[in-house]
Amino acid sequence: MGNWKKSLKHLLRSDRRKLVNAELPGKNQQTETLLSGYVNENLQIIQSIYADCSDVIFHDFLIGNKTKAVLIYIDGLTNVEEVDQHVLAPLQQNFTLEHTLPNIRKKIAVSSIKHVRTVADVIEEISSGNPVLLMNQENQGLSIGLSRWEKRGIEEPVAESVLRGPREGFIETLRTNTSLLRRKLKSPNLKIKSMNIGTYTRTPIAIAYIEGIADPALIEEMTSRLQRIEIDGVLADAYIEELIEDDPYSPFPQLLSTERPDVASAYLLEGHVVVLVDGAPSVLIAPVTFISFMQSPADYYERYFVGTAIRWLRFLFFAISLLAPSLYVAVLTFHQEMIPTSLLLTVAKSREQVPFPALVEALLMETMFEALREAGARLPKQIGSAVSIVGALVIGQASITSGIASAPMVMVVAITGIASFMVPRFTVGISVRLLRFPMMFLAGFLGFLGLILGIIMILIHLLNLRSFGVPYTSPLAPMKGRDMKDVLIRAPYWALNTRPGLSGESNKYRQAPGQQPGPTKRDEEG
Amino acid sequence: MYTTKRKTILVLFFLSIQTLLLSGCWDRTEVNDLAIITAAGFDVTDDHKLELSVNIFITNPSGGEQMGGMSGGDGGGAGQFIVRSAAGLTMADAVSKLQQMLPRKVFWGHNEVFIFGERLAKQGVDEPIEYLTRHPDARERANVFVSKGLAKDVLQLQPSIERNTAEVLREMAKSQTGLNITVKELAQMLAGKANAAVIPWVEIEQAQGTQKATPFINGTAIVKNGKMVGRMNDYTTRGIMWLRNEVKSATVTVSPKGTKGYVSLYLIKSHTELVPHIDGDNWSVTVKIETQDDIVENTTDLNLMEPEHTQELETELGTDIENRVKKALTKAQEEMNADIFNFADAFYRKYPKEWNQAKDRWDEIFPEVEVKLETNPKVTRVGLTGKSLIKPEQR
Repeated sequence: MGNWKKSLKHLLRSDRRKLVNAELPGKNQQTETLLSGYVNENLQIIQSIYADCSDVIFHDFLIGNKTKAVLIYIDGLTNVEEVDQHVLAPLQQNFTLEHTLPNIRKKIAVSSIKHVRTVADVIEEISSGNPVLLMNQENQGLSIGLSRWEKRGIEEPVAESVLRGPREGFIETLRTNTSLLRRKLKSPNLKIKSMNIGTYTRTPIAIAYIEGIADPALIEEMTSRLQRIEIDGVLADAYIEELIEDDPYSPFPQLLSTERPDVASAYLLEGHVVVLVDGAPSVLIAPVTFISFMQSPADYYERYFVGTAIRWLRFLFFAISLLAPSLYVAVLTFHQEMIPTSLLLTVAKSREQVPFPALVEALLMETMFEALREAGARLPKQIGSAVSIVGALVIGQASITSGIASAPMVMVVAITGIASFMVPRFTVGISVRLLRFPMMFLAGFLGFLGLILGIIMILIHLLNLRSFGVPYTSPLAPMKGRDMKDVLIRAPYWALNTRPGLSGESNKYRQAPGQQPGPTKRDEEG
Repeated sequence: MYTTKRKTILVLFFLSIQTLLLSGCWDRTEVNDLAIITAAGFDVTDDHKLELSVNIFITNPSGGEQMGGMSGGDGGGAGQFIVRSAAGLTMADAVSKLQQMLPRKVFWGHNEVFIFGERLAKQGVDEPIEYLTRHPDARERANVFVSKGLAKDVLQLQPSIERNTAEVLREMAKSQTGLNITVKELAQMLAGKANAAVIPWVEIEQAQGTQKATPFINGTAIVKNGKMVGRMNDYTTRGIMWLRNEVKSATVTVSPKGTKGYVSLYLIKSHTELVPHIDGDNWSVTVKIETQDDIVENTTDLNLMEPEHTQELETELGTDIENRVKKALTKAQEEMNADIFNFADAFYRKYPKEWNQAKDRWDEIFPEVEVKLETNPKVTRVGLTGKSLIKPEQR
């Protein structure tokens, strides 16, 4: 087993080694150069770096009709109107002060101004959309915080909609996302650390956590894992997820991806770390447990017993989505005595015309369902509904009448399909849908024995799995009684007194005890 | 270096996949390849062979009629079931002969009813029972019956209400109005100390007008040492059930002394306890029967709200139970000498030493065992009305 895993690792990593040894692109001697006091010299270097970049604008002008200066920015990333109004206008017209950088800074009516000293800094600032001002006789430049680019408005999260509760979702812009978090958690203890990842993309990434709640070791671990990444580009949070997870061979996700600021804030309050990636409308939460994927934000916005009941339903349908087809196959091919007689007789009758063994039938229909789901998901909404009508109604009915599949099998596949959508997190839902296929093979070859073998293998894997050091199956195994109040049941808020212990034991209590509401007792009133 | 390793892994992977296909001993069976048996009957042929008849569910609706015709059953028609028979020296022999006649694998997993023909029951049920308890396929929770005449005839009936004979008999046994004996219980009784068993007796109610012929439970077959020694009618069967503590539901109708009309009582719960006692050579059993009943009908002019009337009814009820029990006792002790009430176990539990000394003489002792009856019936509720609303004179 160990050897096999090692070899597989080599298989997957052999290409990576070459890349590590190769010279990383984008880093060359030029960028490390300090800016000189001659604007032409600096301009030459930067222009050579930005050769053939038609969207980079170099605007020459004279400060107070005297000192040569240049304003560099990328068209489309900068608020040009404000640059004209608040930067160029005061500098070109009636600039009477001495032509030094501090004086210029005073004149520019922009609050966010930074000094830049190296060519690399200049490029960094220009890339983020901030126009950079370089002038003669100064070996520094000014980066003016007037970046503005087209971005999407805050919309309702598509993948995680709720009936009650906040409707805002993260968008692709990191700053907006951090502001959404900050708006919910106004305490200065909410820390947001930034870094850039990606040789070409230089994607801004932020680590958010609440100081005093989150375990410092966890933050350190997260930072070091992120710093290990050397990649050409990060275009979405999935890149980061796959590069920092604990077990890359597991079908189960070890980071939770959410589009909802309220979910992210709730996890922050429980001591988790949130990783925000620019360009992705979702954030990553770590550490997470298996139970996290069974919890839906809706659980917390409905009455608690409704939330509890729905959670039980979800657990039930999670089992169904994993086991239903394999159970059916196992019963039909090995354990016909396990089902009620009348059911067997009906099934036997409906299967009479079916030419395939139950296993083949199940695989056929399950594959068909997966194809339908995929086709429906990738199509525009209007066509998607047409696919589902043709798929679900026509193909389902026709496959029975044409004798390719039996009615009970179509029903099992349909229930399994619905069940897999009951899992609130799509990533887990789809993993389970894939695990269903090996389970079907096991059931088809070995019956219940195979089924149990499969379940045991999955269980062993889950028990071995860790997410940032936290056992994946906690608080069920290892059992943590205190944390059970949000696992099988969703306890009411007045009973959720303690934080889950998975991210350290500091700051254990989240609220004052004994808050069970009720009418004010008369003797307490006076 | 990596390419060779990669190759090795790929080769190993595909080799390991082959093992899935190479497995020779594979007990996978599709439902399409099963002959689902729902009931089985055992008879004796004229040349003393064991004849096994099975009721097979026809899964293929179009093929049903052809096969039904071949079975030659008088039920005929486009039924969902056919009956096939095969004779053999032993049960296993008969089963394999039957398998030769069927294109599909004989599947016992859903067989819920075993019927012994009268002739076979008289010769001995032990041989089929040996097979049924040993072979893993047969269900031990299936019901057993003894049929008047051939078991095959019962299987061929096509009753109106239920899907088939098996279903009719099983549901009837389940309703607990008669005995409900499974293979396991029969085997336990046969292997027990008493060496006697009871099996529900099945008769065929002949077709009347539009109603098709249907089997029904009518009394009990008494088996001793594996052979049927006699039968008891429905009335005495109730007595057996009281003694065996198997009464679950009953409606008893009594006629109180000095009144015209009847009172019907519905049994809520009952409990029977056997208390054995040995005094020298005198073996006796005290039977304590406790029951609780509700009154469901009253055609007399008694006002049942008055306690003395209900007490009177309780006495009547007690007498009725005692009569039934006595009748069953007399038949079992004097006519058949079969300890179907399992007094033997009761004695063994309380007097193991005495039992071990006397166990070989049990056949001599049993008819002499003195049975004392202590009935304690209770009328708990008299129903929604006290006195009958309509006076008997007015009727």
